[in-house]
Amino acid sequence: MAEAPLALPAIAAAPYDYPFDGIWSAADTALLLLGFQEVTVDRLQAHAEVAVARSLVEATRAAGISIITTRASLGHGPLALRRAEAADAPPAVGSAGWDLVAALRPRAGETVIDHVGDEAFHASPLEPLLGSRGIRNLILAGLATDGMVHATMRAANDRGFECLVVSNACRGTTVDRHHAILRITMFGNGLFGTVADVSAILRAVKQYVSG
Amino acid sequence: MSAGLPVSAGSPVSAFWPVTKPTGRHALALAVIDMQVDFCAPGGWVDQLGEDVSNTRAVIPAIAAVLDHARRAGIRIIHTREGHLPDLSDLPANKQWRTRVHGLGIGDRGATGRILVRGEPGWQIVPELAPRLDEPVVDKPGKSAFYATDFEATLHALGVTHLAIVGVTTDCCVQATLRDAYERGFEAVVLEDCTAAVERQNHVATMEILKAYGGRWGGVANSAAFVAALGGVHG
Repeated sequence: MAEAPLALPAIAAAPYDYPFDGIWSAADTALLLLGFQEVTVDRLQAHAEVAVARSLVEATRAAGISIITTRASLGHGPLALRRAEAADAPPAVGSAGWDLVAALRPRAGETVIDHVGDEAFHASPLEPLLGSRGIRNLILAGLATDGMVHATMRAANDRGFECLVVSNACRGTTVDRHHAILRITMFGNGLFGTVADVSAILRAVKQYVSG
Repeated sequence: MSAGLPVSAGSPVSAFWPVTKPTGRHALALAVIDMQVDFCAPGGWVDQLGEDVSNTRAVIPAIAAVLDHARRAGIRIIHTREGHLPDLSDLPANKQWRTRVHGLGIGDRGATGRILVRGEPGWQIVPELAPRLDEPVVDKPGKSAFYATDFEATLHALGVTHLAIVGVTTDCCVQATLRDAYERGFEAVVLEDCTAAVERQNHVATMEILKAYGGRWGGVANSAAFVAALGGVHG
């Protein structure tokens, strides 16, 4: 007999504690690491956010929560040329800096999803993969807040996933854009989900792991 | 090159179509997003919540003018409506829960019928912008017009490659539709004076984000530039 998954304690978040109905376990939750690629980390100077994401990875791994890492690429054609103008433009597949930063590379058995552009659900296997694992809660961290993180959180929200974005594990193309996106996310009691600092998540997960 | 297309003075708008021009009128459509009673009319859902609808209401005349120009130019007009099936089977539990915190959630019965439920009075498009019979109306359960709808299939079937996007709200469904249009290879432009948010600060911040890098997911223009662009599109 498999053990029933233990419930995790709610995470203190704004505008509401996560998840909305208090129901989450290691089995129905995934950490989504979005676009932590070498070139993007360098261009956005996101080394502090990488360190925060790393602490999140260690805690969630210990709790048995799925970790799904996405890697964006530029794509082809005229739209790729436009995409290349943004500060957080993803690199071409296989180009210098396309790889994930060393601190956030997956372990054997963890999933990496490659996709083109800002939205990790679009033309990728992410949705069927989450469905097949029975995941309904998503914790999001990545680059940039106003680029891939928000695009993916919007798409996840339309699909009914319950989303928590980790404010200090994301960095915008500017500080103002980062804060503006979080403000929009929180509008109307969480238009796209809810927002927490990494410490609130670590507290809940460690409480669960220590039983 | 689109160098001949004028843009308004005093606003850092991008060239009207950042990458390519439409090959003809048939390739251009005006998308009017969610101009529904519940979002932008007195007595609608947002108004019943005690929120201010003056911002979303204020763009109705500008959108009406753009609609009139688009109709006279003979380009495609597609309207969208956010709403859920009467049995709420397409309504995520968290979406309903978040709105119920305000006392009147999606699916609940208010002064304009059941909130954001298809067919109800509050779900209708405001009378000033009522769709004509030959204008497709896309019913969408989410924020993006592309999610779980026939919007993309309709655009392809009509041969539409270029979109001008207007409607509400800037930070939510308009931004979502612009981003998703871009990812799917459509060239889209949002008309800044024809979109609004409930909170002006979120409108301003969204426009700044959309304008970055020369129009990050497409162009940012306005009514005057749109009308001028209509004159430059032949065939």
